[in-house]
Amino acid sequence: MRWLLPVTRRLGILAASLLAASLLVFAILAALPGSPAQVILGTQATPQSVAQLTRQLGLNKPLPAQYLDWAGGLLAGHLGNSYISSQPISGELGPAVAVTGPLILGAIFVSVLIAFPLGMASAIRSDKPSGTAITAIGQLGIAIPTFVVGLLLTKAFALMTHLLPATGFPGWQAGPGALRYLVLPAIALGIAEGAILLRFVRATVAEVLRSDYYRTARAKGLRPMRALWRHGTRNILIPLITVLGLEIGGLIVGAIVVENVFVLPGVGSLLLYSVSDRDLLVVQDIVMLVVAVVLVLNFLVDVSYRFLDPRVGGERA
Amino acid sequence: MVNRRSTGLAALVLTGMVLTAGCSSSGSSGAASTGPGGSAAPAGTLTIGSSAAPPSLDPTSSPSAAIDEVLDYNVYQHLVQLSPNGQVVPVLASGYAWSADRKTITFTIRQGVKFSNGDPLTAADVVYSIKRVVAPKSGYPYASLMGTLTSVKETSPTTVAVTLSQPDQEWLYQLAAYSNGVILDPGAVSKIATGPVGTGPYEYKSQVTNYSATLAANPDYWGSAPGFATVIFRYFTDPTAEDSALLSGQIQVIDDLQNPADAAQFENNPSFEIVHGPTDGKIQLTLNNASGPLKNVLVRQAISDAINRQAILATVGGGFGTVIGSDTVPGDPWYSSSYAQAYPYNPAKARQLLTQAGYPNGLRLTLTLPQPYAYATQAGPLVDAYLKSVGINVTDKVVAWPLWLSQVFEGKDFDMTIIDHVEARDVANYATPGYYWNFAGTSRVAALLNAGNAAPTQAGQVAEYTDALKMITADAVNVWLYNPDVITVAKTGMKGLPTSGHSESFNLEYATTGTVPASATAQGFSS
Repeated sequence: MRWLLPVTRRLGILAASLLAASLLVFAILAALPGSPAQVILGTQATPQSVAQLTRQLGLNKPLPAQYLDWAGGLLAGHLGNSYISSQPISGELGPAVAVTGPLILGAIFVSVLIAFPLGMASAIRSDKPSGTAITAIGQLGIAIPTFVVGLLLTKAFALMTHLLPATGFPGWQAGPGALRYLVLPAIALGIAEGAILLRFVRATVAEVLRSDYYRTARAKGLRPMRALWRHGTRNILIPLITVLGLEIGGLIVGAIVVENVFVLPGVGSLLLYSVSDRDLLVVQDIVMLVVAVVLVLNFLVDVSYRFLDPRVGGERA
Repeated sequence: MVNRRSTGLAALVLTGMVLTAGCSSSGSSGAASTGPGGSAAPAGTLTIGSSAAPPSLDPTSSPSAAIDEVLDYNVYQHLVQLSPNGQVVPVLASGYAWSADRKTITFTIRQGVKFSNGDPLTAADVVYSIKRVVAPKSGYPYASLMGTLTSVKETSPTTVAVTLSQPDQEWLYQLAAYSNGVILDPGAVSKIATGPVGTGPYEYKSQVTNYSATLAANPDYWGSAPGFATVIFRYFTDPTAEDSALLSGQIQVIDDLQNPADAAQFENNPSFEIVHGPTDGKIQLTLNNASGPLKNVLVRQAISDAINRQAILATVGGGFGTVIGSDTVPGDPWYSSSYAQAYPYNPAKARQLLTQAGYPNGLRLTLTLPQPYAYATQAGPLVDAYLKSVGINVTDKVVAWPLWLSQVFEGKDFDMTIIDHVEARDVANYATPGYYWNFAGTSRVAALLNAGNAAPTQAGQVAEYTDALKMITADAVNVWLYNPDVITVAKTGMKGLPTSGHSESFNLEYATTGTVPASATAQGFSS
């Protein structure tokens, strides 16, 4: 039960972080000029109609009351109703997460697929031209913006060859064929991520190659890849998982761009629309969702060290 | 764990998925089987690309044109509607007649019409729908236009009489153009925000917020059968993505091409056709008549003379549109092309006027541009250049739309701005005291417009409106740049599409891959 106290401490930090994030998000959005009532009524607005709609939406209440309404609702599992459509936000967010979730998982899959073998190869062959070539290609992957990659993929695979759809998503009710619509977006998102991970993998593998236990394994007669696999894997995994946990936020932000280019009805698109429509509750809910996902994932990464690295057993400062 | 073998396996699986899935075609558009001149059973799917998704499904509580694009005339119908040519045509009313004093209009309700849920259309439904507009707290965005309504009642099972407090030349047009005229089923109104029910050729099926809206052919439609079994509106914020979707066959029509410059890639392509026609929009350089130097009419006139509107239309609008010179567009009964001649491009005259006004060394102004509107952010630098050449130094300020609404429209904190006023026949904005451009002569215009609306003949109305327009043009209240066309790009073979933007509805009543009846082409649907 030695782990109970440190894990509980981490949970406490998690809860405090979520609270702080919610206060920050609410404060920033409350300070944003331009009211939802005005945006809904547009150029048909009169001062009276704006005032009436503001009252209807509950936006004339004092800010602390509005915050407590919202935060309290979140704790009870109610996301609230959209100002623009007056429909429950959970009804809009649910299907959006059903698109972005698989997209991000796909991107992680693609990025690991790129980073792991290429990173290892480039570390093992670091003194050969092929290793340098892989590094150079990796630089390209980081430098080219995601939306450019997306547009290039669309041109090659959708417009010129009709292999994959250019844009859109028919919904999961269309069956597993709907996955086709996520292939190009996942690749676009995964390439940039893969290039970043590739450098970490290469650095970590290089470190393993210099280590004593690796030299011992090779001295025992194991071939390079086998030695790496048998003895180096856990040491490569820990930094990799750490980086992935930190990069989740970046992936979610990247998903916003990708969803725009490929016109996917995901969380990123919903966020963009809601910000420009001043549908503030939706923005608050999405930001809290993203914060929660990042915090929980990093919490799990923290906890997972105990299982991956037996040296981590005592209390970590 | 990823090792070399499973990497290869994964790559193989991925490639296999891509190749096998890639064999089916995307975006089918079925051909309706047609006999010569006959209406055929609706078949196939029409997918339409558009740029703004409906924020809600209720046109009676939101002014957003995106709602009307999908639902108006397609799902919901009015007693009278606007044809693409801008004419008022009877739809749910089989006829109507004004009384001798022009204060009462009696509609004969078309028989045999059913809502898509099976309920029959009755005169009582019409009375209910009109009363709903003027009910207290009704929330209809254009309810104020019904201010002259005194009573509406069923005079027989098939007729409804509407009485106004004074003759109103605009009343019938407004009933056709705005959500005030939508005829509702009282039994379905409780679900109006999630499940619209109307009498139109299509019925609402479903939507994915901000992404798509789906309609299905109404099997009980009273008119000729619609051309498609399913219609899907798909929404794109990125114009390039929308163009790609049309080129790759995922959509068959783009309604309202956002960048006129994009038309070039479809113009010489035999697989696509471009249909374009006037809208009711007035892209204008709004001048804050209460701000500093702009209070002086000579300064406003100088700005009008300094700008080459033809060049701006050619560059920003791709030539798709008409240069205008006042708050009126081709299609208005009171339109005249003479207004565009009031301030011909004349930079020398502009400098002269500025000197006369007391600014021989020029002056400084700011120009606020609403960020999502490409016409504004593209026209802005051109306007700056023209004004610079006559000595007016302009600083641009680009703001997001909600900020434009709060700073410019509500707060009136601006010098100049560029915006498209899309509402039809909105001269009444010049009669509204405190409307954001702070025009000083609102009471005079109000008197003229009231006299015009109460005139017994349309000629009388036109005369009063013309006086009002001449006044605001002479006063150079704003600089009216051009009336933009709506540009529709369609796969060749797609017919029956509206050829103008006079109504906010993308009217699909005659959309088909078969033949379009002559009566429809006469109204302005493409053939």
